[in-house]
Amino acid sequence: MRKVYVIGPGIEVPEHFTVGAGESLDICIIVLPGVSADIPLTVDLTGEGADARLSGIYLCGSDEHVSFNIRMNHLVPHCTSRQLFNGIASGSSRAGFSGLIVVSPDAQKTEAYQENHNILLSDDARITTLPQLEIYADDVRCSHGATTGKLNEEEQFYMRSRGIPASEAKVLQMISFISPALDGIDESIIASVEDAIRSL
Amino acid sequence: MNNTLLDIKGLHASIGDKEILHGIDLTVGRGEVHAVMGPNGAGKSTLSSVLTGKPDYEVTEGTAIFDGKDLLAMSPEERSWAGIFMSFQYPIEIPGVTITNFMKTAVNEKRKTLGLEQLSAGDFLKLMKEKMAFVQMKPEFSKRQVNVGFSGGEKKRNEIFQMAMLDPTLSILDETDSGLDVDAMKIVADGVNTLRTPEKSIILITHYQRLLDMIEPDYIHVLKAGRIVATGGKEIVKMIEEKGYDIF
Repeated sequence: MRKVYVIGPGIEVPEHFTVGAGESLDICIIVLPGVSADIPLTVDLTGEGADARLSGIYLCGSDEHVSFNIRMNHLVPHCTSRQLFNGIASGSSRAGFSGLIVVSPDAQKTEAYQENHNILLSDDARITTLPQLEIYADDVRCSHGATTGKLNEEEQFYMRSRGIPASEAKVLQMISFISPALDGIDESIIASVEDAIRSL
Repeated sequence: MNNTLLDIKGLHASIGDKEILHGIDLTVGRGEVHAVMGPNGAGKSTLSSVLTGKPDYEVTEGTAIFDGKDLLAMSPEERSWAGIFMSFQYPIEIPGVTITNFMKTAVNEKRKTLGLEQLSAGDFLKLMKEKMAFVQMKPEFSKRQVNVGFSGGEKKRNEIFQMAMLDPTLSILDETDSGLDVDAMKIVADGVNTLRTPEKSIILITHYQRLLDMIEPDYIHVLKAGRIVATGGKEIVKMIEEKGYDIF
C-alpha cells in the first residue's frame, strides 16, 4: 500500500527519506484546496536496488501558495525512481514545482523519471515548473517532462454536445488529468479529491 | 403537434471576421431525412456547428426554431437535452474518461432535466449492452477511453452508439461516411435506418452518393458558398455525380 499524505494542519511530509539496498519508498502527496504549503523533500537512494516512487497532486484555489521542492539523489548503481506530480491552479493561486534529479558518478544503471503536468483554470493563477537533471554517470536512463496548459475546449464542446453540462465536463477533465498521480491509492481518498475538484 | 421540427430562416454565421453562411433557409419536418451536399468549403460543417452551438461560431443574422424553441439562445448541453445530436466528422478523444463514465454522465444529466430518476447501475449496463450490440461493438469497448486509439471506423460507430444511447429527435450526421470502408459504412447506415422513426428527423451532411444509397433521404439540398442553391430529390445526386457542383 502506498503511503498517502493529505497535507493539512499537523500533517506534513518528512523532509528527508533514505532508501537502502533492496528497499522501496512509495508515497503520494495530496494538497487540497484551502491549504498553502511549502513541501521540501529529499530522497537519498543509498543502496543498490533501491526504488522510489513519488507522486502527488496539488489543487490550489483562491490566493493559496503551494510549492514543492524535490531532490532525488541517486548515490549508488542500479536504483530506480519515478515521479509524477500533477497540479491544478485556479483563482489567483500560486503553485511551484521544482524537481532535481542528481545522478552521482558512481550511480551507473540508474533509471530515473520525472513528470510534472499542470492546468491553469484562471488567468490570474500562476504555475512555475522547474524540472532539472544533473547526471554525472554515463550509463543511465533518465527523463523529465513538464507541461502547463488549460482544459481542452474541443473536449468540452464534445461532452456538452452530449448533454454533459460545461461545469461537469470540466470536472471530468480534471479528474482524468490528476488520476494518473493517484494510482493505487484508497478509493475513499480519491472520492474526497473528486469532491475537492468540484469546489475549485 | 406541429409537423415542423426545425425551421431555419436567413441564417448568417461567421468564424472570426469571415462570414461562412450567407443566409440559409431550411425546414425539416418530423420524420424527414434531409441530405445536405456540397463541395469542400461550402459551409456544411459550419452549419452543423452552428446548429449544435459550437462556441467558435457567431450567428450574425437569422433564426433557428427547434421544436418551438429558440435554438440559437440555447447552450450546447441544452440543445442536447432538447433532442439534438451531432455525429462529429472528427470525433474528439477524451483521455482518461471511459465510454461508460462518459455515457453514464450524459444519460443521467439528460434524465435530470426531464425530471427522471438516475438509471440504476444495472439498467444502465443493460442499455449500454443493447446499444453496443447495435453497432457491433465488443463488450470491452465500454472500458476504453473515449475515442482514444480508436480506428476511423470505431470512432464513427462510437458516434452512432452515442446517438442510440441519447435517442435524439434530430440527428445531424456530419460526414459520418468520410474515411469509412464499405463494411463500416453499412454498420453505420443500418444503425441510422433502425433509429429512423416517423417522429425523428435526420440531417445527413455528405460529399458522396454512397451513403445516400444506404440511407435514402426525402430531400437533397445543395450547399454552395454558404447558400442553399438547389433542393430536390434523388435526381440531384445524379446531376452532381455526372457534372459536379459547377452546374449550380
